Amino acid sequence: MKKIEEAILPVKPLTRESLTMWILLLVLSLLTIYALAAIDYTSVDMGKAMADTLNNFKTIFFHPAAHRLSLWDAFYEVLITMGLAFLTTLFGGVIAMLLGLLAAQNLAPKQVTNIIKGFVAFIRAVPSILWVLIFAVAAGLGSVAAVIGLTFHSVSYLTKAYSESFEELDRSVIEALMASGANWWQIIFQAVIPSSVSSLLSWTFMRFEINFANAVAMGAAAGAAGIGFDLFMDSGFYFDLREIGLVTYFIIAFAIVLETISTNLKSKILIKKA
Amino acid sequence: MKLELGVNREFSEPLLELKHVTKYYHGAAPALEDINFSVAEGEFISVIGPSGAGKSTLLRCINRMIEATSGEISFDGVLISKLKKRDLRKLRTRIGMIFQHYNLVDKLSVIENVLHGRLGYKSTLAGVMGRYSPEEKLQAMRIIDLLGLHDQVYKRCDQLSGGQKQRVGIARALIQDPKLILCDEPIASLDPNSAKIIMDHLRDVSAQMGITVIVNLHQVSVALKYSDRIIGVNQGKIVFDGSPSALTAEKIAEIYGSESNDLMVELGERYAI
Ligand SMILES: Nc1ncnc2c1ncn2[C@@H]1O[C@H](COP(=O)(O)OP(=O)(O)O)[C@@H](O)[C@H]1O
Ligand SMILES: [Mg+2]
Repeated sequence: MKKIEEAILPVKPLTRESLTMWILLLVLSLLTIYALAAIDYTSVDMGKAMADTLNNFKTIFFHPAAHRLSLWDAFYEVLITMGLAFLTTLFGGVIAMLLGLLAAQNLAPKQVTNIIKGFVAFIRAVPSILWVLIFAVAAGLGSVAAVIGLTFHSVSYLTKAYSESFEELDRSVIEALMASGANWWQIIFQAVIPSSVSSLLSWTFMRFEINFANAVAMGAAAGAAGIGFDLFMDSGFYFDLREIGLVTYFIIAFAIVLETISTNLKSKILIKKA
Repeated sequence: MKLELGVNREFSEPLLELKHVTKYYHGAAPALEDINFSVAEGEFISVIGPSGAGKSTLLRCINRMIEATSGEISFDGVLISKLKKRDLRKLRTRIGMIFQHYNLVDKLSVIENVLHGRLGYKSTLAGVMGRYSPEEKLQAMRIIDLLGLHDQVYKRCDQLSGGQKQRVGIARALIQDPKLILCDEPIASLDPNSAKIIMDHLRDVSAQMGITVIVNLHQVSVALKYSDRIIGVNQGKIVFDGSPSALTAEKIAEIYGSESNDLMVELGERYAI
């Protein structure tokens, strides 16, 4: 009896989605094999190329050194990148605060929250880097486009996070305060924000961490100065492998610190929700 | 005592008066239909009826948390239904409200929650900044003491028991310096002991401070014990309005319809006492 049931009910039923997935993987594997077979290697000695690459990695990671940049310069450039992250988080946070209030279901009419939530979901769906490139059309590639683009994406991320934090306060509490004669702004500042302040700060810091990583990439990809730009120059213009190593270590050190704090904050938020 | 109140009612101007109040939500059946009654200052009134009868709707029409579809409501000589937003806010400061689920800001302390009752008296800016005068803080302390919460003043409200939370709710209403307090099932989530403490406080509020109290209740026995007057509601209509002694078994059957069988037991208790 049991056996029959097992036969009829496989553990993972083959649905349409999983079938599509398998076919896709198969096709991709076949293409990869074909590509590897068809590539023209004639002028490249595979063994030597591999060895050189590993050698480069060794230089980068085991012999970091400063040539063009002093240690202090590198530190200063990291600070500039931090500044870019800070500025975009600040701008994004202020705008998202307002939009978040209008997107919270306990504070605004449903039509308004739907419009804003839809709008920011659309912005979020496009990666930050793309927004920077889009704004670069108008502002030119550089720090202005980077600030606007990163701010834009931060707004959408933080609006969602903030509005969900605001929604932690039950609508009935807001109605109780309304019934005593308090008005909307008083309720926002005396009840809604105090209830969500720890979540707000955590989300803001998490976005700062994301913006730091983005700001590094912006320095390299959009010429927005900071440590990312040095990385770009060392690799693309000076071919200074040892300095690339130094810069990379700097970025990793800062990123690890931010990431650690951010992970702690995130687990705190999750505990609170559970 | 009750007789005196009855006499007073005839001479003094009513504090609250409802005339032909009707409320339709979306459906064809009204949640309230042609509600008429007036309330004298200092009365303690219980509103009873099965769930869905319209008790909450009735209470919320009084402070216009819900807009009545038609009819007139006047409070303290002012026609509520015509008030503009700003005047409505001012009027609401004189009407306290307490709720079944307390509706406090859980992450704030007892005193902060109590002081919220003063926001309606402030300008937007002073309220936003949370600027409370020393007198207001002193008064908050006095009321907290009065309700036996002196050891909880700086505790966060999510650390309180249900009964304590409801006392914070009463304190928040009292600091408004209200003429009327509306209570929507204030003891429905409480154990019998805490419920008694809350009802006793409400009676004191009415008897000693002269504040008018209207309480939605589920328990007939509690209504009988505490009220000067009982209003029975069924399907949006008032089917009984009178003193507790006039509430007969037939009347209870009429108010509660098919639910009434269980209630007869409670009524039996009254006659036992
Ligand atoms: N917001 C609302 N929208 C639509 N119908 C409602 C709403 N609130 C209450 N009602 C309906 O109005 C009637 C009275 O409800 P309510 O006043 O909550 O009764 P009670 O407090 O006596 O239980 C019920 O039939 C209920 O379903
Ligand atoms: Mg109700």
